[in-house]
Amino acid sequence: MAEKTSPYGFRYIGAKRRTKEDPRFVTGRGRFAADVQLPGMLHVAIVASPYPSARVKAFDTTAALALPGVRYVLTGAELCAAIDPMYVGVDAPKVKRYPLADGLVRYAGEWVAAVVAETRAIAEDAVELIEVDFEPQPHVVDPEVAVRADSVKVHPEHGSNVLFHRKFVWGDVDGAFARADHRLAFRARWGRSATVPIETFVAVAQWDAGNEILDIWASIQMPKYPDQVARALRLPGNAVRVHFDVDVGGSYGVKRGIKHTLLVAYLARKLGAPVRFLEDRLENMRGGDMHGPDRIFDMQVAFDQDGTIRAWKIKALDDVGAYAGRSPLQLGKPVSAICGPYRIPAVEYEPTSVMTHKTPQEAVRGFGQAPTNFAMECTIDRVARHLRMDRLVLRRKNLIRKDEFPYRIPSGTTYDSGDYHAVLDKALAAANYDELLHRRDEARRAGRLAGIGVSTCLEPSGGNSSFEPLFNPKNETTTWMDSCLVRVDLTGAITGVFGTSSAGQGHQTLVATVLGEVFERDPAGIRVIHADSLNALPSNSPVGSRMAIMLGGAAAGAARQIKETLIAIGAHNLGVGVDGVTYRDGDVFATIHPEKRLTWDQLVEIAHRKYHRMPPGVEPGLQAKFVWEVPTGGTMPTEDGQVQMYPCYSFESHVVYVEIDPDTGKPVLQRYVVGHDCGVMINPDIVHGMTYGGVAHGIGAALYEKFAFSDDGQLLSGTFMDYLIPSALEVPEIRIVDHCTPSPLTTFGQKGSGEAGYLGGPAAIACAINDALDPLGTEIAETPMSHLALWTLIRDARVKPQLKDAA
Amino acid sequence: MRANEHLRLTYFPLHPMKSATFQYAKADSIPHACALLCEYGVDAKLLAGGQSLVPMMAMRLARPAWLINVNEIDELKTSARRSGADGEVWVTGAGVRQIDLERDEAVAAAVPLLRQGLSWVGHVQTKNRGTVGGSLVHADPSAELPLVAHTLGARCVLRRADVERSVEANAFFIAPMITATEPDECLTEVHWPIWRRERVGSAFDEVSIRHGDFAIVAACAQVELDHAGRCVRAALGIGGAASTPVALDAIARSLHGTALDPTTVDAALRSIGDHLDPASDVHATAEYRIHLARVLAARVIRQARADALSPPHRGPQ
Repeated sequence: MAEKTSPYGFRYIGAKRRTKEDPRFVTGRGRFAADVQLPGMLHVAIVASPYPSARVKAFDTTAALALPGVRYVLTGAELCAAIDPMYVGVDAPKVKRYPLADGLVRYAGEWVAAVVAETRAIAEDAVELIEVDFEPQPHVVDPEVAVRADSVKVHPEHGSNVLFHRKFVWGDVDGAFARADHRLAFRARWGRSATVPIETFVAVAQWDAGNEILDIWASIQMPKYPDQVARALRLPGNAVRVHFDVDVGGSYGVKRGIKHTLLVAYLARKLGAPVRFLEDRLENMRGGDMHGPDRIFDMQVAFDQDGTIRAWKIKALDDVGAYAGRSPLQLGKPVSAICGPYRIPAVEYEPTSVMTHKTPQEAVRGFGQAPTNFAMECTIDRVARHLRMDRLVLRRKNLIRKDEFPYRIPSGTTYDSGDYHAVLDKALAAANYDELLHRRDEARRAGRLAGIGVSTCLEPSGGNSSFEPLFNPKNETTTWMDSCLVRVDLTGAITGVFGTSSAGQGHQTLVATVLGEVFERDPAGIRVIHADSLNALPSNSPVGSRMAIMLGGAAAGAARQIKETLIAIGAHNLGVGVDGVTYRDGDVFATIHPEKRLTWDQLVEIAHRKYHRMPPGVEPGLQAKFVWEVPTGGTMPTEDGQVQMYPCYSFESHVVYVEIDPDTGKPVLQRYVVGHDCGVMINPDIVHGMTYGGVAHGIGAALYEKFAFSDDGQLLSGTFMDYLIPSALEVPEIRIVDHCTPSPLTTFGQKGSGEAGYLGGPAAIACAINDALDPLGTEIAETPMSHLALWTLIRDARVKPQLKDAA
Repeated sequence: MRANEHLRLTYFPLHPMKSATFQYAKADSIPHACALLCEYGVDAKLLAGGQSLVPMMAMRLARPAWLINVNEIDELKTSARRSGADGEVWVTGAGVRQIDLERDEAVAAAVPLLRQGLSWVGHVQTKNRGTVGGSLVHADPSAELPLVAHTLGARCVLRRADVERSVEANAFFIAPMITATEPDECLTEVHWPIWRRERVGSAFDEVSIRHGDFAIVAACAQVELDHAGRCVRAALGIGGAASTPVALDAIARSLHGTALDPTTVDAALRSIGDHLDPASDVHATAEYRIHLARVLAARVIRQARADALSPPHRGPQ
């Protein structure tokens, strides 16, 4: 592959270069948690509840234990007495959650017992032999019923199904609504979908009795995972060693898996043998606790005749299912971009997190931002339709202008930088928008339903978790640091070390590129490793679209310290001051006498061997750590809930063309363009790869994917026969056009991009479908926009024809 | 293979994803397979392409005590034109891979609905393994090959030890995953009628949510026109809208003598729902399925007519 030079004037950053990770994946040499094979390892299979709500009265495990090869059957009673409950993200201490039900089952598919056997097949055979006496209890699956005081309670001890509720008012919302020319109200609904990585959850645990250390290999992407595991197991943190050097086969948020880990960790210690649990797909989709947000938005917007949006009110009811981990906080992230990319001076936000008897919710790409962006963009298009105003004119009028940054939004966050108009224009140009309008109108004249959707959406990045103190007064989290350790060994080779796992984000490429940039050394020769949790520096894991900013900044900080040491060594040995030397390509020379020079190898040799040639007071060896605090972090929320939440704001504008078969309701995406600005891209291939994946994910959420439940609490789409993810044949050719507005807050101007494509995709697809439906006088604001839903709307609209000009 | 349990359960079971224990045998010939079936009967299943049976076993929805592999029986892989008492037919062995049937030019010329239907079946990867017979005995009500078989009136040849019988498609498909095949019988051949006339056209269409999914509803039609463009013979079938594929013979007959103009076709299809009995599920209501059946039936009749009229003539030779 030809290496292209950086468009930003850097040496390596932004240049098109082969990634560190791809060769091992392409050649089948990845090492995943399921590849960890330990001598004597035992395997787990799960007994799950068929009822959404039931008391577990008794088990009969006799036949299972009699099966040759079965080693143990663990039930909730034993486990819940031996460990502490798992972490809850809000102030709800009585919402207790254990890996196995604590006697009361709260969703169909919840684990009630675990069988341990010599093989997984034997464990599965034994599961069938276990008889469980369940006593069914009343259940609630409708969040609007669950939220009522008289509802059946999922956790009776908590006294309510509401985990979190608050009404935030920022600015003169009522005044704006009173004074505006127009007001609109509608309901938008985001269906329960998620991501379903190819790799299901895997956890392997081994108790090292000699050293009293628990070793864990797991497929995870989870903030403070070692700490959470240690606390629940009542172990000191230094007795848990998480091996982060396993490849994670996709996550996109959902690979949290504390319950899986606690289960195998307890069993490994109890049985004195390594224990593995590798979920199968059925276990994963129903009991893996990986469903995403499931939201009802009641939107109100106040605007003037000229299109100026004065205020909006967002009421969001999120159904998190049966337990709370970090899921309620997914209503918190949108506070960081509560007016979207628009100049909206007054906002009311009323989030409610409610529990039902369904599979628990977990983080999904964007942490609640994609549903919110969807609701906001549906709002913008409705305003345009109400005013019969061009959607682009309306957007351009309300988008924050590039000369207004840094821009403080009503909820207290300041957006760092952007040029939204430029990105929108680039996307429209790449989509050949005028030709697309012509094509749409031709299609309409031919009797087809055709529409164009445009979205303009933000990706808050640099995850700072400031929603934790905002949503939980007992939580005073104001830092979400990340770190990097860099060393240059005696051979002159550079190694970067960090303390978390990677799920395809390319962190090794990221760190190597940054170190290469600072040291002016070829990243191809730089090794980057994942330390285990006892060797690592603090990390908050690759969530919240943060690693380019946080790990990139930490790596640069550590490298600069070493570079300063090298400069000091050079200056000292050349007999000039540090101001009189120049560092280039790893060598240090006297600036006015470049022939007086120490090479990289000579400098390294001095640092490692020749203390007599070291400048006084400089530590020998070449090693440095850098812990980076999130830029703009460090403050608690104000009384009225204002807080600086994320430092950097990436922006994307999607342009989508869709045609819908009016007789069948089938939508087909025929053109797809994304304009994208995430500041300086460290590695463009990685950014584009994540964006392609994000777009595909967004197409799934918009059109196909839903974890549907029946009224009796059963998951109706628990296999890939019914939970439909888009295949390569449903994803059209995607064109990405880049734009770069550097962030002034980060080391190289980079912003986050891990959620790109997903955050603006469903919004744009909804806008396109609503444009297609517009001539029929009908509209949709609910995902997934299924064939059935679209056909039903079309049929109903034809029954009550509202003739409109199709042009 | 016979599959008597329904893969697509509304409430999927609690079973895990490694199959229950089973015994394995490889049959070398049709008589050998029949002998094994006589011995194990209801406890055995034949393994052909395994594209439905193996996932069902993994989920323990199918739990055969014996799995009899028929993949290496050459006699099951014949594919040839034959003249018989029923007129001319294309005979395919039950073990013919779907991809081979789809790519066979002679089959496409003789029974064009086969290629048209197979283009909607799964993916290349599943068709590389999946067999003609496997699809028919699996009898998914929305599958393409059963629909073509039912629409054209194909005959299924069943062998038990030394006894052979032939069952017409309308008696072969009984319910989802249930056919006329007895536990000790093996499907060996399928006889696909050839309409050996000029001005014959056919079409297959379906609505599935994604490419390669089981159809929500599928439709196919084959028509023969006279020199004046009037329909002299028609076959029309709908899949996915009842517990088996449905051949709409009465509607097809009502089209005889007409020019298959849209008004006539629409009128003939008005009561299509009377012949169907669709279920509702998470992806489609019964009402939607009936609507799709009407829309798709009209489309395939229109396309079949256009096919019959299209120069150069592409109908069966």
